[in-house]
Amino acid sequence: MRLVQNAKEHLNIWALLSLAFIFIILIPNLLIGFNLFTEPTENWAHIKEYLLIDYIKNTVVIITFTALFTMIIGTSLVWIIVNYQFPLRNFFRWALILPLAIPAYIGAYTYQGMLNYSGTIQTTLRNTFDIHVTSQKFFNIMNIPGAIFIFTIFLYPYVYVIMKGFLENQSASLFENARLLGGGPFKIFFRAGLPLSRAAITGGVVLVILEVLNDYGVVNYFGIQTFSTAIFRTWYGLRDLDAALKLAGILMFIVIIVLVLERLIRGKKSYSYSSANFRPIVAQPIEGYKKWIAFSYCLLIFGIAFIIPVLQLIYWSIMTYERIWSSEFLTLVYNSVFVASIAASIIVVIALIVGNYTRLHKGLFPKVAARVITLGYSIPGAAIAIAVITLFVAIDGYTAAIAEFFNSNSAIVLRTTLVMLTSAYIIRFLAVGYNAIEAGFEKIGYSYTEASRGLGSSTIKTFFRVDIPMLKGAIFGGFILVFVDILKELPLTLFLQPFNFSTLATQAYRYAHDEMVQEAALASMLIILVSGLCIFYFHKVLDKNK
Amino acid sequence: MSKSLKSVLFFAVMSLLLLVAVACGNGDSDAAESNEQDQEDAQVEDDATEEDEATAEDAGVVNLYTSRHYDTDRELYDLFTEETGIVVNVIEGSGPELIERMNIEGEATEADVFITADAGNLHVAKMDDLFQPIESEVLFNNIPENLRDADNQWFGLTQRARVFVYAKDRVDPSELSTYEAITGPEWEGRLLARTSENMYNISIMASFIELWGEEAAEEWANGFANNMARDPQGGDTDQARAVVAGEGDVALMNTYYIGRLLNSEDPGDVEVGEAVGVFFPNQETTGTHVNISGAGVTKHSKNVENAIKFLEFLSGEHAQQVFAEGNNEYPANPNVPWSDTVAAWGEFKAQDINLTVLGENQQEAIRIFDRSGWR
Repeated sequence: MRLVQNAKEHLNIWALLSLAFIFIILIPNLLIGFNLFTEPTENWAHIKEYLLIDYIKNTVVIITFTALFTMIIGTSLVWIIVNYQFPLRNFFRWALILPLAIPAYIGAYTYQGMLNYSGTIQTTLRNTFDIHVTSQKFFNIMNIPGAIFIFTIFLYPYVYVIMKGFLENQSASLFENARLLGGGPFKIFFRAGLPLSRAAITGGVVLVILEVLNDYGVVNYFGIQTFSTAIFRTWYGLRDLDAALKLAGILMFIVIIVLVLERLIRGKKSYSYSSANFRPIVAQPIEGYKKWIAFSYCLLIFGIAFIIPVLQLIYWSIMTYERIWSSEFLTLVYNSVFVASIAASIIVVIALIVGNYTRLHKGLFPKVAARVITLGYSIPGAAIAIAVITLFVAIDGYTAAIAEFFNSNSAIVLRTTLVMLTSAYIIRFLAVGYNAIEAGFEKIGYSYTEASRGLGSSTIKTFFRVDIPMLKGAIFGGFILVFVDILKELPLTLFLQPFNFSTLATQAYRYAHDEMVQEAALASMLIILVSGLCIFYFHKVLDKNK
Repeated sequence: MSKSLKSVLFFAVMSLLLLVAVACGNGDSDAAESNEQDQEDAQVEDDATEEDEATAEDAGVVNLYTSRHYDTDRELYDLFTEETGIVVNVIEGSGPELIERMNIEGEATEADVFITADAGNLHVAKMDDLFQPIESEVLFNNIPENLRDADNQWFGLTQRARVFVYAKDRVDPSELSTYEAITGPEWEGRLLARTSENMYNISIMASFIELWGEEAAEEWANGFANNMARDPQGGDTDQARAVVAGEGDVALMNTYYIGRLLNSEDPGDVEVGEAVGVFFPNQETTGTHVNISGAGVTKHSKNVENAIKFLEFLSGEHAQQVFAEGNNEYPANPNVPWSDTVAAWGEFKAQDINLTVLGENQQEAIRIFDRSGWR
């Protein structure tokens, strides 16, 4: 009897829904996981002998340095912005997120386009200043340091956004006490700011690492051999799906190590509002040259990561506008925004349901659930694509059989609709939305929820009346991150698109991949414009709600 | 709950519903797009005379999986629709991706025609049993025998050559002769190429395996890699830029990239295109390496007749001209004149091998590259 009672307690709607979502996420993971234990093929021996060491070395070097640099840039920017008053601070507060709007591979093509011999920089040096550079070494970014540079400037906003969201909601009293105790600004940063924001920083850095591991465009163009290039080479070139999945399995293993490290760094401590007298940190005015240092630092990062590439893209857009503009671009904008907002909304809803469930229930299952749901982000896009399309071929087969049974000829072919693509997006990006919302749940703690439940409200009522309003920052944050990510998304969109369906990202990629970077500029600019507007709008909404 | 938040949640729920509605609504037709098209066709039908009506009704669709993505292609498809009433539905992707997609879809695939660059990709599709043999007098007349599959499963549409591109101010073309000779010591530190990950490099290696045997081909890869001016990186166009910048003297490249540079709106690119020369290697011996883009009708096509009509249309003179000029390539149909850009490089002798070997030797080519110093 007790057992039934117990089961009843645990098997509520939240648990069932969570279980369902986790199951969907797990399928592609299991596919890859099992493959690690199959008999190695002849190609696998070849890969191990000639290539594997390089793959591991290059991949580890790139993720290590990118993680380090994005962490330094992201945290330092947040610290300056949150604590100090300086010229244009309010502008930089949201503008520093904007580089996120530029797909990294477009950034790579743009920087290479600018720096090469016939690019803007060298032609200007030659034609205007009559400087003839003989060594191309200074202008070459198509190497590992170049890739680290590209990833750093276009991905640091992940660290910035998450840590900023965290710090702006920290109580000022913590840092005021530190100051009263005689800590200088650096000491406060290293002794109070960093340890407190540890979870937020690692959360951001993990997203950066996962993005880098999944990148194909940048490393492929620069000619660097990493796991993602290796997977495609093995799959499409050697035609050995098993060996490719083995590589994907190793990649997944690296990701799991990263995720475990994240957990360890975060530790068991959680910091939530200790009292209801919450008072946010107020930025202090700084004087003289110091405020210009702060200003210049922000401007430097913003310039390199946004202004310069965007100016170059605008120049190219104007150059090619007449030839390539057509009303089709409006359709592309519509398509991009349409799928991105649908998928992002669904992801936010799922993340809320699972997040709320894993938060309110103790035990192994909720804990595992919380980890599993973020795994989709760790699988190479191509592997998700295979799993999803295989699944939908099967589903379509069943619906066709059912339709035949009922003598109806209106069977739904889901593969020709956006349902397939949207499902793949959800599996892939649930982690992004979930991380943001989980962080939000962690911050609000239990006291409000418990109070509401104590006053007799049901879990569902509490969820809508108490939890969600307190979570709105996290919800918006998660939504923007997912939305912008999907606008840029490539491998899934390319693989799973229905007929006559293109997005801005696929359009930009087609041109850029075929070395027509000038032609790719217009679609890229539209991606940046849409994402940029989105970031700006949500920033305004968030500020108003404060 | 704040107002904006409510609207987001509302939006989320609505979009879920919408998605389901879209999914179900599409049940009786292929895609939303073709629904619209059908309606448009219906409109046309009403206006048309009675005899036209029959053809319009039967016209239907042709579903295309293609790795081509030039702006002029779309106009060509529209023209086909105008001429035949057959609506062209398109999915664009990379060749290998589309092959994998068709493999997974199996019999259920919606694809009728598959177009891709590189004979290697076409061969893979054939080996995966994705094509069906086509008997069409029009295609046989338009496409020369050496540019189509021995079993008529695929047909070449355009050709490109993989050539030497040299710095006009530093290299006298008389110094250049063959692909083999470029591995000699006088070229040390002067060569440029992209990585061996690239399909064009894999295919040229596959052709050398056929012509010289595996050992000599591997020696060549090592020799070329030893003479490189820098690590392989970037795309083909980047090699031309590096030549002009003085990083190296000779680059291994496809012809159409030079055509693109010459016709670019970017004055810097035109400068690069004009500063380099195009040299066709092995004219006295085995000929220059050429590759094709081509198309076939899928094995599980549900619109075979339309698919054949579409291929015949693409092999016709007008379509061939548009197709080739869209990417500065050589048309497969010998009756079609070359564009001015391409004609300026002159006639050349091409490798006399069956293009199928590019696909057959593909995996061996990759393994040779992996063993060699050519990353």
